Amino acid sequence: MDKFPRTVSQLRREAPVNHNNFIYPADRGTGPIGYQSKVRVIDKYKVVGFISSGTYGRVYKALGRQGQTGEFAIKKFKPDKEGEQVTYTGISQSAVREMALCSELSHPNVIKLIEIILEDKCIFMVFEYAEHDLLQIIHHHTQQPRHPIPPSTIKSIMFQLLNGCQYLHTNWVLHRDLKPANIMVTSSGEVKIGDLGLARLFYKPLHALFSGDKVVVTIWYRAPELLLGSKHYTPAIDMWAIGCIFAELLSLRPIFKGEEAKMDNKKTVPFQRNQMQKIVDIMGLPTKERWPFLSSMPDYSQLSTLQPPLSGPSHGHHHHHHYQNQQRQQTGVGGSHLEKWYYNTINQATGSATSAGNGAPSLASLGQEGYKLLSGLLEYDPEKRLTAAQALQHPFFSTGPDRISANCFEGLKMEYPHRRVSQDDNDIRTGSLPGTKRSGLPDDSLVRPNKRVKDG
Amino acid sequence: MAANYWESTQRKHWQFTKDQLATMRQKLEDEDPQLVHMFPLQQLRHLNIYFNQQINRLGKRLGVRQQAIATAQMYLKRFYTRVEIRRTNPYLVLATAVYLACKMEECPQHIRLVVSEARSLWPADFVGLDTSKLGECEFFLISEMNSQLIVHQPYRTLTMLQGEFALSPEEVALAWSVVNDTYMTDLPLLYPPHVIACTAVLLAVVLRPSGNNPAGGQGGTNTTNPQAGFAAAAAALSQARAAGNTTPLGTPLSSQGSSQPDGSQPERKAGAGAAAATPDARVGKVQRFAAWLGESGIDIEAMVDSTQELISFYECHEQYNDKLTREQINRYVKARGLDK
Repeated sequence: MDKFPRTVSQLRREAPVNHNNFIYPADRGTGPIGYQSKVRVIDKYKVVGFISSGTYGRVYKALGRQGQTGEFAIKKFKPDKEGEQVTYTGISQSAVREMALCSELSHPNVIKLIEIILEDKCIFMVFEYAEHDLLQIIHHHTQQPRHPIPPSTIKSIMFQLLNGCQYLHTNWVLHRDLKPANIMVTSSGEVKIGDLGLARLFYKPLHALFSGDKVVVTIWYRAPELLLGSKHYTPAIDMWAIGCIFAELLSLRPIFKGEEAKMDNKKTVPFQRNQMQKIVDIMGLPTKERWPFLSSMPDYSQLSTLQPPLSGPSHGHHHHHHYQNQQRQQTGVGGSHLEKWYYNTINQATGSATSAGNGAPSLASLGQEGYKLLSGLLEYDPEKRLTAAQALQHPFFSTGPDRISANCFEGLKMEYPHRRVSQDDNDIRTGSLPGTKRSGLPDDSLVRPNKRVKDG
Repeated sequence: MAANYWESTQRKHWQFTKDQLATMRQKLEDEDPQLVHMFPLQQLRHLNIYFNQQINRLGKRLGVRQQAIATAQMYLKRFYTRVEIRRTNPYLVLATAVYLACKMEECPQHIRLVVSEARSLWPADFVGLDTSKLGECEFFLISEMNSQLIVHQPYRTLTMLQGEFALSPEEVALAWSVVNDTYMTDLPLLYPPHVIACTAVLLAVVLRPSGNNPAGGQGGTNTTNPQAGFAAAAAALSQARAAGNTTPLGTPLSSQGSSQPDGSQPERKAGAGAAAATPDARVGKVQRFAAWLGESGIDIEAMVDSTQELISFYECHEQYNDKLTREQINRYVKARGLDK
């Protein structure tokens, strides 16, 4: 594995230099010699495998060559143009944001940036390595026999996730793309918010926060105000996503699994009817009484085209004898089925766990505070939705049998499978870069999305 | 962090003492004394005036807001604490700084537009400018700044103080232009943005802007009686110091600012005179602001020094020779082939 990098660096040193305009060897960046990085990625890190790829480029797992402890994830941003003639074309705004924000941020629940190396027209962001992510953990629990994530783990994950999110929000950073694939978990059970590729500062924006990037946040986790055309990005949008993640930790399925309507030829953002319908199926139709600014949403008129929820959540798999007890709670406030969904989920989960005979602790211990937290996060009105600070103070975290641990794996007897790294492409220097698109599906995640469709 | 100056990389890595700055700059010159000797340049403040003008011209062409312009100026300042000016084509560096600052301040400009505007602004100084050069320089800039691109500016504090002290539009405009002027000094590398904002507000309320003095002009040479104004500012600062009573360093103003012996001389007597001559309302505002400064726990010594740096800068601005400054820059750029 060492062989190749050495060859490359030799090649680099032997590369012909344009001597015509050679004046001062110390001129860098602007003279005829050109920009040269002071640090070489391959001199400092040894790539041990390929992790994933996305729109931005690829992520590799690496070890330090110069005595650095631990493992690293190196995110390589591809240069804009591919092919033989790669030239500088300017760094994308999202890469600039991510570089700048990650350089400032420092919190135990936000993924830590080690360094950034700008070399050979590529950007290498070196992060601490996290062995797991929530998508992977959720996926593991869907494997036969399907078994719920232990309640103590869920509580710890939620607390750490909210803690990291509160840190971001008090620092005026919106993540804008919270989803299970972007929530990392280290082998010691620390939750780390990752992928700040869409994050940005939200004080005094020079433009409406929506205008720069038309579509943000994976559609399943997209807040209703965005679906209804809001141009105002607020921390509440991240909180909705956290509510969706909470629900997914409970049920092991995305709670609102809509199909994305693609942008038409005119590049106008279409109304995401299917996604909004999925929300309405469980949450009921939003009303002006519960959400006063509802009627001023740009796509308010579209609401009338949606079907009011049926008598129960459309998720077929929830038709299960367990929720008979919950029939009385069937339609809660404003036609919402969330309460039924919640109790159904935690009781059903218990059922399958016991039938699997592994004696896993019951999700039912999450109790009604779990529902209250969930409904506070999945509140239609963004102004009423819980903030990260409020959610952290929620009785959910101070009641119940489980103490909140900073290690979400505390007390677990099993170990989650490690992140798969492939050996297909260990060449961080030249690796071919597939042009996948950030389409709203977790394309940049480890587990392929179509796999999830099967168990959904 | 982003919203917290105290945890920011700006405070941790880009705030220096005067001695540190002097040492860093000396080190850059010592790397190649011959180069420095061969291509003499005007003093840094004059270069800064020139760069400031050029950035403003480019910014105006692109229709960029002041916030992004200011960030670009900070990038330039930071960059030239790490890289000897004579090794660079400053036109390239400042165009790149504007391009990068616009992305960071959420008003992105297309790289091709920045290049074409820069080319038409400086046709002779930059024959070889293209997107690839600018993109390459962006790597250079970011690398030298360690990717620490979030800049805290005084403008936010300024806006806050505007409401707090019911500043008139003229006072705000003057304070704003004083802040703009600080980018031609070392102040943004020496002091936190709120110190600079408070200094600018103090100067604005004592300098008595009037209709004939359009604020926002270049170089801050728009005040009729700066000496008296600065003296009044100094008087207010000693009031603040007395009110604050928390500053252990009770150094009298007259012994401050060893670098500018004249600057401190007229402070006391003129200060009293200026205060006596102003209408009660203004005196009231100045005193109220001074009292607030005293209570706020702000670094008064830093404000005193900032005031003196500005006095000194405005004096130095009088000697600014645009033609000479430009010619010296263009000479080394051409001689060293940095325009290719």
